[in-house]
Amino acid sequence: MRGTRIEQLYDGHAPSLFAYLLNFTRNENDTRDVLQEIFVKIAREPELLKNVLNERAFLIRLAHNAAIDLIRRRDTRERTRENVAAETITVFAPAGDPDEEVFRQQLSAALVELPEEQRAVVHLKLWEEMTFEAIAETLGISPNTAASRYRYGLDKLRERLRPLYKEITNANE
Amino acid sequence: MRMNDMDPFEQRLKRQPLRQAPADWREEILTMAREAQPLRQTATVQGDSLFSVLNRRLASLLWPHPVAWGGLAAVWVLIFAAHFSIEDKAPVMAEKALPPSPEVVAELRQQQRMLAELIGVSDASDADRPKVLVPAPRSERVVILNA
Repeated sequence: MRGTRIEQLYDGHAPSLFAYLLNFTRNENDTRDVLQEIFVKIAREPELLKNVLNERAFLIRLAHNAAIDLIRRRDTRERTRENVAAETITVFAPAGDPDEEVFRQQLSAALVELPEEQRAVVHLKLWEEMTFEAIAETLGISPNTAASRYRYGLDKLRERLRPLYKEITNANE
Repeated sequence: MRMNDMDPFEQRLKRQPLRQAPADWREEILTMAREAQPLRQTATVQGDSLFSVLNRRLASLLWPHPVAWGGLAAVWVLIFAAHFSIEDKAPVMAEKALPPSPEVVAELRQQQRMLAELIGVSDASDADRPKVLVPAPRSERVVILNA
C-alpha cells in the first residue's frame, strides 16, 4: 500500500465510518479508537483489501465488528452511565433552523433507544443508502432479517417522533 | 427500496445531514496508520533511515503495553545471563583440578606394592595364575562315567 493509498481510503470512507460508529457507540473517544484501529489494521495488512469489491461495505463490517467488541468489553455499570450521556451526543450536523435542530436532537435521542442491531440497519439503509442485500452481507445476516429489523426500527422512530413530526409538517404546510 | 419507495417520514430522516469527523483526527489517525505500515513499504515510501523505521516498528509492536513487554524482555535477559554464568563456571572448576604430580604417583604405587606384599598377592602374570576350575556340564560328566 502506498503512502497516499491510506489517505485516499481515509478521505473516501472515514466520514461515513465516523457517523456510523458515533451512532453505534455514542462516544467520541470510542469512535476515534475504533476508527484508528481500522486504519491501522488496513495499513498493517494491506492484503485485506486485495479482493474486496465494495471497500465501503468491507470497512463498515470491520467498524461494526470492532464496535461490537468494544461495547462487549465495557462494564455494564459503565454502559449505564454512558447511556445517559449518549442521549446528549448528537450524530447529526447542527441545523440553522430551531425546529429542525429540535427534530435532529429528538431523532438522535430516538436512535439511541433502538436496539443496536436495529440501529445499525436503519443507519445503513437511510444514510448509507445500502440495499437490504448489501446490509445483510455487511452485517452477516439474511436480507429478510435486515428488512424486518429496518421495519421494526423505523416503526419505533415513527412512534417516538410522531408528535414532533406532525407539528413540524403542519407548520410547514 | 429507493428514495421514491420511501414514505415522507423516511425521506425526512434520510435528509438529515450527519456530523463530520473532527478535522484534527485525520492527521492523528493517518500518522498511526503510517507507522503501522509494513517495514519494507514504509522505508521505500518515506525514505526514512533504517534505524528510525525499526524504532517505529518496534514501538508499534510493543504497543499498547511497552512496560510489560520491556519487563518480560528484562526477565529473559536475566535468565540468559544466569544460564551463561553457570555454564562458564563448570570448565573453570575442571581446569582447577590439577593432575597429581609424579612424586604422588610413585608414592601411591609404592603403597600399592606394599599392600599387595602384606596380603600375599604377587604380581604374577596371567599365564602363571592357577586356572579356575569350571565345572563341566552334567551331560558331559555322564559321558565320562560311561566311558
